[in-house]
Amino acid sequence: MKNKNSIYLFTIPALIVMVVFFLYPIFLSIQMSFTDFKGVGVANDVGFKNYERIFSRDRYFDALGVSFSFSFIVVTVQNLLGLFFAAVLYRLPAIRNFSRAALFTPSMMSFVVVGYVWQFIYSPFNGGLNAILSTLGLEMLQRPWLNDPSTALFAITAAHIWMFTGYSCAIFLAGFANISKDIQEAGRLDGASSWQRFRFLELPLLAPSITINIVLATIGTLKTFELPFIMTGGGPAGATRTLSLEIMNNLFGQYKFGFASSLSIVMSVVIVTVVFFMNRFLRARENNV
Amino acid sequence: MIADTKQIQTANIHAPKANRAMLPLQKIKSALANTFVLAMVLVMLLPVFYMIMMSFRTGAEIAADPLAIPKSLYFGNYAYTFENMGYWRSVANSVGITLTVTLLVSFLGSLAAYPLARRTGRYSRFFIMLVALAMAMPGFVNITPIYVMFREIGLLDTYLGIIIVFTAMNLPLAVFFFTGFISGIPKELEEAARLDNCGNWKVYWYIIRPLLGPAAATLSLFVMLMVWNDFLYPLLLLTDKDKFTVMIEVYRFVGNRNIEPDMLFPAAVLGSLPLLILFVIFQKRILAGVTAGAVK
Repeated sequence: MKNKNSIYLFTIPALIVMVVFFLYPIFLSIQMSFTDFKGVGVANDVGFKNYERIFSRDRYFDALGVSFSFSFIVVTVQNLLGLFFAAVLYRLPAIRNFSRAALFTPSMMSFVVVGYVWQFIYSPFNGGLNAILSTLGLEMLQRPWLNDPSTALFAITAAHIWMFTGYSCAIFLAGFANISKDIQEAGRLDGASSWQRFRFLELPLLAPSITINIVLATIGTLKTFELPFIMTGGGPAGATRTLSLEIMNNLFGQYKFGFASSLSIVMSVVIVTVVFFMNRFLRARENNV
Repeated sequence: MIADTKQIQTANIHAPKANRAMLPLQKIKSALANTFVLAMVLVMLLPVFYMIMMSFRTGAEIAADPLAIPKSLYFGNYAYTFENMGYWRSVANSVGITLTVTLLVSFLGSLAAYPLARRTGRYSRFFIMLVALAMAMPGFVNITPIYVMFREIGLLDTYLGIIIVFTAMNLPLAVFFFTGFISGIPKELEEAARLDNCGNWKVYWYIIRPLLGPAAATLSLFVMLMVWNDFLYPLLLLTDKDKFTVMIEVYRFVGNRNIEPDMLFPAAVLGSLPLLILFVIFQKRILAGVTAGAVK
């Protein structure tokens, strides 16, 4: 061979793509975040003004709060539901494969479709949810789900949870499949009940699946804007305005490119920090259980 | 990847078998449990059934009774949707973009992965760190600069622009994916070719590339899912109706007016249908890919 290291030339095309469309844009973004760039014309240097604005107004803390609430609710409920289905289906081989695929189906759909369909389910006049409630004689629970600030966020998280429960379940089922049958057999010979086997054998052994599920769901939800964008546009009264939606609005509603850049940098720092510590905590936990 | 799938399958076989010489009482209990859980699974699918059912009813019927099952299949909604939504055009756009991106990502990704899988020097470690960083970074940071960059070089509202964006977004995953896969290919396969004095390129093209089929197939399903369903970048980068992807077409078609059920539901069904069909055909591979990719 001519040169021992010539094989590394194969990485050059991929390297170029990543430098030009990943590293360079990050650099540009940081640069833009210190300007008042409006999309066209001159970008004036404004120092830390954009960042001062973010940290001095309640609006952005509120949006961050909405993102965190959204994330917390979805990560918790979606994984509990997914774990429940996985634990039950693991014990029911006859319906396992069908159910796993059925539960996964909503994950194959787009946020656009899910958003619109659920928006109609929640619709106050001829939507499915209020109709079901009236059939069940529960008229007092009827409400305009997406127009009521006290329910809007929960309504959207329910749609998101519905979409990805099957995804969590599939990952948990793969974790269950990795549990050796000897351990299961030993548990059964010791007379452990189904619940005891779940609690003391399976749950500890599922630690890696729990980590990956929580991390994936956290990454996916902290940056979410799609369902609020489609279903409520951030309303009512900002109850569903996530930080990402705020970025979208600044960018393409008001053409505040500079400010939107600083918001997205703050958001990225928040997400990377949260995920980093969460990952460390969960990995450490894996070694202890 | 492949090993993982096998593990899952064998483990499925070893999982507790419910029907091993059971007493009648146990049989009834097991049948009840199966029925009960299956019912819960079907309840989770209700919104999908709802979407399909509603697409065959007129707006007036839905307003009169929001939950009723259609008495007869009314195809008027679909006729209207086909007439007014650029469905086939947008499907062709999505498919074309997906195929191009899949080809590019598979080629660039496996090409870069080959040296990374065979050498573990400092450069490889640096490269893999860059890939991991790109995968972990929320795509949001890049929206503004990419929009500005594309406007400067005239890539806004072009197929090329959207293809480049999706390629760049999927490339880190592809490199990661192929590196793992190529590491599993025995080095001995290359040795005969090396003795024949074949260069790196020939070894890659004639030995490695033909073996990448399974990994490329799984990856292409990922890419397809993403390109078909992604909403952010096509919404920002495309303004010409003739270049819309399916989801942007659905978004524009439904969202341009007050939400009318007789347009919303057929558009939702048509938008999801191609992927759902694909899922029915390839569910084993898709599920194995999702879980293997996640468990790594």
